[in-house]
Amino acid sequence: MNNPAFQRWAWLLAAWLAAIPAFAQNSESNRFYVQQMIELAAANDEHGVAAMQRMLEQNPRPAGPDPGAAAAMLQAGLAALRQNDPNAALVKLQQAVQLDPGNVEAANHLGLVYRKLGQLPEAERALQQALSLEPVRAVAWFQLAQVYGLQNDVRRATGALANTYRFAQNTMRAEEILRNIAENEAADTLRNAALATLRAYQLPVADVIVPPLAPNSDMAPMTTPARPLRFAP
Amino acid sequence: MKTRWALPALLLILASTAAISAGQYEKLDYYIQQMITAAVAKDQASVQTFREQLDNLPRREPGDSAQARSFRQQGLDRLTRNNFKEALAAFRQAFIADPADPDIAGQLSLTYLRLRRLKEAERLAVYTLSLAPGQSATWFTLGEVYGQAGDVQRAVGAFANAYRFAPDPAQLAGQLRELATTDAADGVRIGALQALQSLQAIPPAPAAPDPPAFTPPRPTSPETGAGAAGSAIEPLSGSNPLIHSLKQGLAHLGKPSTPVPSTTIARSPEPAESDNPGQRIYRRSLPLTCLIVTFRNGKTDNLGTGLLASTDGLVLTNDHVVEKADNLAVKCGDRESVAKVRRRGKAPDLALLSTTINSADSFVLNETYSQDLVGRDIFVIGNPYGLEGTFSTGVISGLREIDGVRYIQISAPISPGNSGGPVILRDGTVIGITTMGLKVGQNLNFAIAAAEVIAAGFFDPGRMKSQPLKNKP
Repeated sequence: MNNPAFQRWAWLLAAWLAAIPAFAQNSESNRFYVQQMIELAAANDEHGVAAMQRMLEQNPRPAGPDPGAAAAMLQAGLAALRQNDPNAALVKLQQAVQLDPGNVEAANHLGLVYRKLGQLPEAERALQQALSLEPVRAVAWFQLAQVYGLQNDVRRATGALANTYRFAQNTMRAEEILRNIAENEAADTLRNAALATLRAYQLPVADVIVPPLAPNSDMAPMTTPARPLRFAP
Repeated sequence: MKTRWALPALLLILASTAAISAGQYEKLDYYIQQMITAAVAKDQASVQTFREQLDNLPRREPGDSAQARSFRQQGLDRLTRNNFKEALAAFRQAFIADPADPDIAGQLSLTYLRLRRLKEAERLAVYTLSLAPGQSATWFTLGEVYGQAGDVQRAVGAFANAYRFAPDPAQLAGQLRELATTDAADGVRIGALQALQSLQAIPPAPAAPDPPAFTPPRPTSPETGAGAAGSAIEPLSGSNPLIHSLKQGLAHLGKPSTPVPSTTIARSPEPAESDNPGQRIYRRSLPLTCLIVTFRNGKTDNLGTGLLASTDGLVLTNDHVVEKADNLAVKCGDRESVAKVRRRGKAPDLALLSTTINSADSFVLNETYSQDLVGRDIFVIGNPYGLEGTFSTGVISGLREIDGVRYIQISAPISPGNSGGPVILRDGTVIGITTMGLKVGQNLNFAIAAAEVIAAGFFDPGRMKSQPLKNKP
């Protein structure tokens, strides 16, 4: 017990064990801030969003065990994505995030791959991680909005789209993307979220026309009576 | 200690960056509006200063130009086929692919304009001009946007800048003339017209290869009042661009939704005779019946009717049609002219206009004012609510003298826009000039008797014709 080497290792172990809940706690608080940014954006509370953004930006970026290897994995994951192989991309990007939890690109693309694979809770978590690292990343906000759209969560989709516009490098481009969604998107949730976002920012948008319902095959056309009418003699 | 200060400083920079990002459009719009205001004030130095401010803004990141070009081509194809919705979808995709391409952004703005989505068109035009402040086509689009929105002042400024930055100012002036004469929106026509008037003071941009070929004179007010009576009719130059604009504007104003009968009549000087008296009178009268358009403060103000009273272009109408006009334009059949008020009066409510129209035929006034007229068939032709050449029939219901002026009461229906038009007997002579109607009752309408026109001094015996009643009804 008095062995200095043992004491050193024991001390390191204790520090590591203490760091795990601290890191976990930090991660949860970051998720909370990201959620707050969404809620406040949906409520059009600009100052609130800015405050939460600062809270996130004050956090130190977590250091990974091997950022160099993470970067290589990220490149491999992106190559797999380009080859339209999301499963292979998923493995590579998961490894990249494990090797460097502070790699925003890896977290962002991991969220994208999860979304493509329909694993929405995992996609949400990965994108929230990316946003906790870089809360002004408009692309991640946009992907998160799509995830919420798929989850039929209009309010959060609206908040995420509002942040997409807020942090867009080119707001006119973002505006046009929002209009495109508001006027053409087939999914109600995302379409309504885009519409709400445009209205929140007082941006012009065409009156939304609800797309016509798909024809019901059980109904015969009005011009073709199923049987001839008969008159009483 | 350094890190303690570094973080807040970084946060401050990030926060201010976000604020700038949120206000990107407003900042660009400010510069564009300043350029417009300066253009209206003919302050070339300020236009240039704000242009330089825009030129000095950081350049946008280029996007995927190859993909954007493909979408752009689709958009252009659809735009030429007037398929604006599909053009919008294509240009939108092109813009999203490469938002730094001013041509694509400008075409997206134009497509929004064609779809009458003016707010979007304005935003995209402002954005485009922030990328390329000297893009004349987008200034032109912005002028149309403001004109369609009824904001004439800004339309003028935008059109002026379109001219200033045009690579071919003469061509741009031609485009403005076309807008000034054919566009359906008053604001666009007036904006283009006022811009044309101000072009004299606008030198083209230094890069322009040729000097402007178009220097229209300012319009002059027509002579009005009794003092102008008896003055010689000055020939009006057809080469005056403003006059040309006014004349061409007539081609659009008041055009009926159905094919214009006047065109047919004008191309058939000898229409086939008809046994139907109404049809015969209609065919003869239509080319001699005039649409009168008045302009006031640069805007289209009033529409009325007149009748060609001499073969050298004298037109009779009501004074209330022209009383507030700064400028007048007249179209009789397919012949157009600007007009000057030669004589006018309140009692009777008459005005005599001089025009450059020459005609082989003219109306003949009927001198008769007697009870013999009552019960005779009459025909009324005019432009009620701008519906050119509207023909109606009735009878003479009575003779009335109101405030010392002799009127013929008629049963033919008339509406605003008929004022100043002829009331015609079966023999083709004009027995009265449509003037007013009672709001109560039905078809209780009144025309100033032709005899009153002659007696009140609006008849020029050397140039106009009159005759008494010849035929029995």
